[in-house]
Amino acid sequence: MEKVLFIAHTDADGNLPKAALETLTAAKATCGDLTVGLIGADVQAAADSIAECGAEAILGVSGDAFGASRYSTDAAAIEALVKQAAPEVVIAPNTARFARSMPGAAFRCGGKIDTHITGMFREGGKLEVQRWYYRQRMSATLSREARPWFLLLEGGLAEAFSGAGSAIVQTVDVAVDNVRTEVVGVQAPDSDAQTIRPEAEVLFVAGAGWMKKQADGEVKIKDAEEIILGFLDKTQASLGSTKSLVDQEAEGDVLNFMSHMNQVGQTGSTPRHNKGLATCCHGEEPHTVGWRFINERRAISLDANCGWAQGKADVLYIADAFEVMKKVNELL
Amino acid sequence: MSFHIVVCGSLVPDPLQTLEPMQGPTGPALKNEMMLPAVLDPWAGHALFEAATLAANVPGSKVWLVSLGPKAKLQQLMMSIAQKVAFDLVAVDGPAGGFLDAFETAEALAGAIDGIAGLEKDKMLLFGGCASSSRDASVTMQLIGERLGITDQFLAVDELKPEADGSFQIMERIEAGEYLVSKCAGAPAMVGWATGNLPEPPNNPQVGMQNMRTVMPALQQAKPAQVGTGDVNFTKVEVPQQRRETKIVKDTPVEEIAADIVAWLKG
Amino acid sequence: MERQMMEVDIACVGFGPATAGFLHTLSKAIMNEDGTVALESRVMPGAPLQVMCYERADDISFGVSGVVTRGKALRESFPELNVSEIPTAAEVAHEEVLYLTDPDGASTRSTGVKMVDKVAGLLAKDNAFALPWIPPFLRKEPGMVFSMGQFCQWIGQQLMGSGLVQIWPGMPVDSPLIEDDKVVGIRLADQGVEKDGSPTPGYMPGMDLKAGLTVVGDGPVGAVGQKLDDHFGLPEGNHIDEWAAGMKAVVQLPGDTELKPGFVLHTFGYPEPEIFGYMYVLPDNVASLGIFVPSWLDNPIRSSFRMLQHWMQHPAVWKYLEGSTLKSWGAKSLQESGMRGEPKLVGDGFARVGEGSGTTNVLTGSGFDEAWATGVQLAEATIELLKEGKSFSQFHLEETYLKRRRSSWVEEEAQQAKKARDGFTRGLIPGLIGMGMTGMTKGKLNMPGTPRRPWDRVPSFADYFRGKLEAGEVKAIIDECKAKGQSMVDPLMDKMGWKPIPYDGQLLLLHQDALLLGGKVQAAHGFADHVRFADPEKCRACESQICISMCSGQAIAASEGGDVPNFDREKCVHCGICMWNCTVGRKGDEGRRSNIIFDAGSGGFHSAEN
Repeated sequence: MEKVLFIAHTDADGNLPKAALETLTAAKATCGDLTVGLIGADVQAAADSIAECGAEAILGVSGDAFGASRYSTDAAAIEALVKQAAPEVVIAPNTARFARSMPGAAFRCGGKIDTHITGMFREGGKLEVQRWYYRQRMSATLSREARPWFLLLEGGLAEAFSGAGSAIVQTVDVAVDNVRTEVVGVQAPDSDAQTIRPEAEVLFVAGAGWMKKQADGEVKIKDAEEIILGFLDKTQASLGSTKSLVDQEAEGDVLNFMSHMNQVGQTGSTPRHNKGLATCCHGEEPHTVGWRFINERRAISLDANCGWAQGKADVLYIADAFEVMKKVNELL
Repeated sequence: MSFHIVVCGSLVPDPLQTLEPMQGPTGPALKNEMMLPAVLDPWAGHALFEAATLAANVPGSKVWLVSLGPKAKLQQLMMSIAQKVAFDLVAVDGPAGGFLDAFETAEALAGAIDGIAGLEKDKMLLFGGCASSSRDASVTMQLIGERLGITDQFLAVDELKPEADGSFQIMERIEAGEYLVSKCAGAPAMVGWATGNLPEPPNNPQVGMQNMRTVMPALQQAKPAQVGTGDVNFTKVEVPQQRRETKIVKDTPVEEIAADIVAWLKG
Repeated sequence: MERQMMEVDIACVGFGPATAGFLHTLSKAIMNEDGTVALESRVMPGAPLQVMCYERADDISFGVSGVVTRGKALRESFPELNVSEIPTAAEVAHEEVLYLTDPDGASTRSTGVKMVDKVAGLLAKDNAFALPWIPPFLRKEPGMVFSMGQFCQWIGQQLMGSGLVQIWPGMPVDSPLIEDDKVVGIRLADQGVEKDGSPTPGYMPGMDLKAGLTVVGDGPVGAVGQKLDDHFGLPEGNHIDEWAAGMKAVVQLPGDTELKPGFVLHTFGYPEPEIFGYMYVLPDNVASLGIFVPSWLDNPIRSSFRMLQHWMQHPAVWKYLEGSTLKSWGAKSLQESGMRGEPKLVGDGFARVGEGSGTTNVLTGSGFDEAWATGVQLAEATIELLKEGKSFSQFHLEETYLKRRRSSWVEEEAQQAKKARDGFTRGLIPGLIGMGMTGMTKGKLNMPGTPRRPWDRVPSFADYFRGKLEAGEVKAIIDECKAKGQSMVDPLMDKMGWKPIPYDGQLLLLHQDALLLGGKVQAAHGFADHVRFADPEKCRACESQICISMCSGQAIAASEGGDVPNFDREKCVHCGICMWNCTVGRKGDEGRRSNIIFDAGSGGFHSAEN
């Protein structure tokens, strides 16, 4: 089998992100001789955390310049690691940092790259990967002739690797010159902003029904806000919305914590969560394509004929989401 | 200090269309691809609007839009975007599907950018979307940047704040809804935009008239580009059909439903 | 912000077959073969003629209709035309006309229709009787079928590729600019406004385009056409009282379909006797189909969408459609008054072409070719006037365009057809007999009848349901629907005996899914609502609120307590059917316009297959 270089960068604490550990498991399962390449301010702790991974060698590019996410230094570090290890396949997690720097590094190494890999397997001894096109609307299985072949893997493909010990890191020197970008730091989102939280177990989707007139003829934005925020607070769920809801936002009636960033579906995002609960939403196809990676799906709707009933949800509750969610919050 | 902003952006199927893959003569393609209505790739659109605003705020700046796509479709696309903001079009006549190899696309685009008369590379900001919504790879812009020797690159950018000395501050989207803030000494740089912060500009007929004077000649002069699927072998391309057995719970008291949901959430 | 102004030579409103015919013919004459200017601009001396066309839809390919046409005028414009050059087009190969009987017994059938049913029933197969002979006036052979959207894309690309005319989609035209009864150009719709039209911080007033000639081809419900009619009035004796809602779909037929491209099916008799249906088979196992729900269907809960689903399930149609998938869906208004609905065709500075100018032939059911022909006629007139250095005055346009139109086959056939539909004002049977008489005698003999305004025809619930349902039952349903703010269509139709639709998620879709999967409807932000209710009190007092039942896109929805209906621009397909279905005349304008204002607006379908 082909020689593989697994590359990871450390997080701010010097550890390996979960996505990196998952990618390592996937790499070990599919590929041959493994070399590890690590990038960070100090990579020893990270190397120790995966010391038992069975790598032939653990290479490291370290120093202050490599502690931060920056294209020029990252691309140079990856290039140096690849040139040192001379692999046929390079596997790395699809983090924001590598999404930015890996393609250019692949070019410098004369290789090709595929990103957002959601499956990796061998077919007749040949390495094949699965990735999605047209915003998760169709999947393709493909292979490449070119080597080195760089692959950025999505999280969640395998269990996170565990096997700590004491590792020997071979330092790979990379010259740092002409750095024109200074990393200022990380800015956390506003504390009251509700976003898609990739790590959350549950996706909660709010549809336009939350803004509709209720049985007494009133629009109850305040109630809706209270119920939704209450639920998010109790469950730490990721907040998604339908297009029609965020479009209403643009038209003026507002749920303050909601924006187009929350939109799930054909023209929005396709988040990954184990569970999804849709409320006040019609379950139309363009929205539900965004549910591609939601394993268990339930919906609350007043309409027994809504799209969720057409084989899109596991369970559809025909009920008033205001009442049900109020009760759910109480029970939680 | 002014900027020469080169925006790479092309057409993608209008997001409302139903897409179906098929095997074309040179690899996978979309059924009725030439018939499908197209729009400017949304992220590239944000890049274009940001470029126009930046150019308007930094005197002496200029915007080019470099587009690779079938000439007839590009022409149709221009009618819907040329009214939005002013730009000089550089058209490259070739395919624009998602299954094409990003390396070949980048080569064609970098070649077209190299050929732009009057473009000063030391003033160049290479703009594009953080990904194309057809290929979904987030790769092409970096490859173009590398080919043009640009080693300061940013991806999933929502804000670029220029300073008087030509430097600028950048905010990139990273994991968990956070932003990475960086300062770049100045052009040349590659900026792959996420949504940015600007609303879509209204259709302005005067901008349209002005653009059309350069758009039509650019389309007529569009050079053909050989872009294909490269060394990729597609084993399978499919639209997954997932139909679930839906259990419908109705005429059930709210309390029971809520309890069931809570049990499921905790399970 | 100041309103911008731009001067052009010719401003066109709407891009459909008529404007396409105009631009095609005109663009060929702008330059000489040696590259010098043949038609010089009057606003930019030395430059070629400056011609702009503005279209409301977001793309030039978003037209709605399956077309069957003899293509006479089109072939004159393209003498070398090979039909297969037009995407989705096929030559007409086989025609059938079916009379459909009612397999469910839910439709409203007069005694006469019941007798026809009985006779037809003896020879019927699949509850349908195939006419053994198709009268020549209805025949489309030799002719062609295609998708309007694809045709517009095909011709539009050629036009824009010429670089000689500009067609701008996504830009609604608000109104004509009228100065002293002279049209001096057009005003585009304001952008950056709230739903009610009030400015937001991004306000951009619609630009004024001053033009020597304004070409109005914005269809039967276009804002500019309406405003010209309001200003100038219709010529004495003319009226636009007859309409039809065309609800259409494009489907992928099953892989083993026996239907061949060029198959043309027309039906009548079901789901209501007055409703006509069609199916045209295009290449690649695609069919364009739909129904026409006319304004003389006297039913206060008419829903074209539900009717279409019943029509598709009729055994004689379902045998072809079973296993099909909906690809696209749409709706439009058809101006069915034909020549009777002809507005003032020319005036100082403007001329009207296409369906909005009354070109539809109500006998042959043909509109595309006539629309194209009038566009060509206007272009020829324009070229003549420009070459002779003459102005676009009413006199000159009468001498050139009107003269051509009046002496053409379009006029000759329209004159014959003028009274063809009058019989329908008295019922289906007199209507059919009348059409036959008109058709066979080329208009010499006609069935008399007096057209009535749509809102004068729609019966009250009490009248409509008398003898069908108990008055108390009907009232209970209506009261409940109004209280809950729900549409009455399904409860009342179910009660009438119409079978519930067995939604399959493929072809028989929920209305909402049809909008999203088929119509792919979208509206740009920053434009005002284009559907408004002139006098809200009249809406509150309105019993049927028929605007909700018949809205093609569920954009007009019921309010709780029977209040003024809600309008959602995001769902509007711009069919304009609400405008002529409304059962209430507008205050201070009784008899001319209904209580629903249908104005210039942005958005609509994003489907190129219609």
